[in-house]
Amino acid sequence: MELLAQAADFGTYGKWMPPNLSVRGGAIDQLIEILHYFMAVLFVGWGIFFVYCLVRFRSGKGGSAQYHPVKGKASKYAEVGVAIFEAVLLLGFSMPVWGEYKNDPPPADKRVEVRAIGEQFQWNFHYPGPDGKFGRTNAKFIDNVSNTIGLDPDDPNGKDDIQTIGALHLPVGRPIYVRITSKDVIHSFAIPTMRVKQDAIPGMEVPVWFQIKEGATTANLLKSKSMNEDFDTAKTNWYRVRHLVASKDYADKSGQIILAEGAGIGLSRDAGEKKLKQLREAGIDSINMHPENPLEVICAQLCGNSHFKMKAQLYTYDDAGFEAWKKSTVPEVIEEF
Amino acid sequence: MSDHSHELPFWKKYIFSVDHKVIGIQYTVTALLFLAFGFGLMLVMRYQLAYPNQPLPGVFASVLSEPVVGEVTVNEATGETGKVLTGDGYNAFGAMHGTIMVFLAIVPLAVGGFGNFVLPLQCGAPDMAFPRLNMASYWTYLCGGILMLFGFFVKGGAANSGWTSYPPLSLIATTGQTIWLLGMVILITSSLLGSVNFIVTAVQLRVQGLSFFRLPFFVWAQLVTSFLLLLAFPPLEAAGLLQLMDRVAGTSFFDPGGLIISGVERNSAGGGSPLLWQHLFWFLAHPEVYVLILPGLGIIAEVIANNTRKPLWGYKSLVYSAIFLGFMSFIVWAHHMYLTGMGTTLSTFFQATTMIISVPSVIILTCLVISLWGARIRFNTPMLFALSFLPMFAIGGLTGLPLGLTASDIHLHDTYYVIGHFHYVVAPGTIFAMFAGVYYWYPKASGRMMNEWLGRIHWFGSFVFINAVFMPFFFLGMAGVLRRQFDQTETLHGAAVQGLTVMATWGAIGLALAQIPFVINFFWSMFAGQRVGANPWKATTLEWTAPSPPPHGNFDAVPVVARGPYEYSVPGESEDFSMQATA
Repeated sequence: MELLAQAADFGTYGKWMPPNLSVRGGAIDQLIEILHYFMAVLFVGWGIFFVYCLVRFRSGKGGSAQYHPVKGKASKYAEVGVAIFEAVLLLGFSMPVWGEYKNDPPPADKRVEVRAIGEQFQWNFHYPGPDGKFGRTNAKFIDNVSNTIGLDPDDPNGKDDIQTIGALHLPVGRPIYVRITSKDVIHSFAIPTMRVKQDAIPGMEVPVWFQIKEGATTANLLKSKSMNEDFDTAKTNWYRVRHLVASKDYADKSGQIILAEGAGIGLSRDAGEKKLKQLREAGIDSINMHPENPLEVICAQLCGNSHFKMKAQLYTYDDAGFEAWKKSTVPEVIEEF
Repeated sequence: MSDHSHELPFWKKYIFSVDHKVIGIQYTVTALLFLAFGFGLMLVMRYQLAYPNQPLPGVFASVLSEPVVGEVTVNEATGETGKVLTGDGYNAFGAMHGTIMVFLAIVPLAVGGFGNFVLPLQCGAPDMAFPRLNMASYWTYLCGGILMLFGFFVKGGAANSGWTSYPPLSLIATTGQTIWLLGMVILITSSLLGSVNFIVTAVQLRVQGLSFFRLPFFVWAQLVTSFLLLLAFPPLEAAGLLQLMDRVAGTSFFDPGGLIISGVERNSAGGGSPLLWQHLFWFLAHPEVYVLILPGLGIIAEVIANNTRKPLWGYKSLVYSAIFLGFMSFIVWAHHMYLTGMGTTLSTFFQATTMIISVPSVIILTCLVISLWGARIRFNTPMLFALSFLPMFAIGGLTGLPLGLTASDIHLHDTYYVIGHFHYVVAPGTIFAMFAGVYYWYPKASGRMMNEWLGRIHWFGSFVFINAVFMPFFFLGMAGVLRRQFDQTETLHGAAVQGLTVMATWGAIGLALAQIPFVINFFWSMFAGQRVGANPWKATTLEWTAPSPPPHGNFDAVPVVARGPYEYSVPGESEDFSMQATA
């Protein structure tokens, strides 16, 4: 695994698009890229004509305007060209990707299935357990601490089910099938790094599926070169590194540790700026940091006053790791959001 | 007709006037005030976005109170406190910024203001077809607007479920949402009164010789716009009433039932559909996009024809494109809803119509740009605004492509890319067109020119800063930063690109400062601007035949139209403009 982590580098945040860890995400990124080249060509070509006209036909040059100066059909050809190219993008790129996204779910016996239930302001996840069957749920069983999804205690299918709040655990290299719904208002299940987004609508259950790239486990990502970046303590803003933790210990000249490995600078501005100042004063110009956990599930639809804080941690494992996690069936609560 | 006006007392002449020009000016001034207010809301939001949870600067802190802002301790040692925006306050400002800008600022300015003032003049009409209906439309709009603002003062503050008001969030929202719905119903009524009037005026009150294909493009744009308002608004009015019933009368049109709100089951009959609202809302709101754009394109066409001193290239293409655009705008609405769980059949239809609707937009822009070829371009303030409109509107249009295709929309949906896209269409697009229109028709409305140098300073500042605000949005969207987020640094991908958000905020502050010359110019020129005659721009269309400002009844003698709208630089003529009206 160590070798694989060094070989596969999945990128990092803040550089154009977020890293793409989904097998099918590449097709989406490719379409976005082609579209932007197309837009750039149109805009630049058209802009050159525009600026040329402004300079050549300015009134300061004197003379009078022409009544019927344009005879050619160049514009017609350009317009037809644009329409044809749009048709190609639609038929050749967008529809196949969307069709696969919507019409080709992985077979039930091959996929890892999980339910995602949105609520103000957390994501609840429901796994079927070893029997592969989801237990019944009903609003009357809901308990805000121990049973947020309202799992029926009398249903034998639900006995082995696993519930988590704010933490989604998934294996890499296998099709993931997420059934999305909501308890209250409309949310949207979004994982930027998986190029996945789907509204969570109360009264409806809509599935999405994706597959995480081989090797893109949380453990590998944390070790990867691009996720461990150097930050200049003099130039970096506190918010840039607020969710990151140090990759090693940083000590001042007397040897006293100022920023320990695995510790962050603090989530608030006051704490963050104080820590950065302390590091600068100790003569530490640069710190190497990585996200505490590199992957997040967020909510993409306005759902109330704490919408912006509605997120869950996504943990990815290889097969062995995933099986080990499943064995620890204690529902866990991540209170980080 | 004109001697009639002397008998009217002040309040009838300037307040409860039935004269389309006075009503047009009332609309313009009211809408500009709402525009400034909506801009102010945005500045507070942008401050929070750039400096999350930092106390607001004094000017904002002093006018804002609970529940929009909360107290925080700034300095532990001295116990000094400051005010920060709350999550609810942010959402209320966001919802009201969108609502005010769309329904109380841009549409009333573009249609109520410019349409009212210019359309009857360009048709050679003495007034609107139904002057009293026109007055009723303005006063209904004002009442709706004031009611909307009243929302800020009810318990829980103004509506905070986004300008789209998606249920069930809007069903469980505070009283402000009820006020919002009532306000919308009144505003839509105002739009319906106005649009009927515009259609009848443009069709019935054209003077002799003014055939449909001799109408200025501005009138065509207003005509298509009025049809959109007339046909698209009623579904939203109905939907607004249904949502109102859901909130106050216990119905369940948009409530599927069984909702667990904070652990408690909401008491309702259920059986409704949250998606039904989205369909009804976007059935209005997509044509609404073209209601926001078309009048702006109409203004741009007038200003470009006048300042290139040549006929518009492809006048008929422009007209047919506008009509086609209007028609197509009714069958693209669900491209706002790709991620609600739409399958391949529906999405194929809506993707195809969305690609098709881009074609007439491309044709309109192409016609306007090719019109520059062979011109003799005068770079005055209205023309500077009109010319800079073109590339920025193009950016707005082009960036619609990745959002209109389902596959690329997966990543970009509900991100700042969307915000960048429609703001480029409406702010650097339509608002620039509105400024062009204000500078262009100001001498007609007042008999005085606006100051050219203040105008150029206004244009330059606005052009630079408006791009500083909106260009970063595309990069934020690419990075995955979502819209309607109180603090983007809560997420990993958001914190990584927070610098762009800081840049956009400073762009917005610059943009606010850049409006100062405009405000000075607008009032100063009323009294000190250079006096001008009927036709200071040497233009061709009918409004320039009437005196500046036109008296009640508009024309000294009923004009007769002899030619098309843009007969500039006609070979063999002594002047480089041949007016539509025969002398």
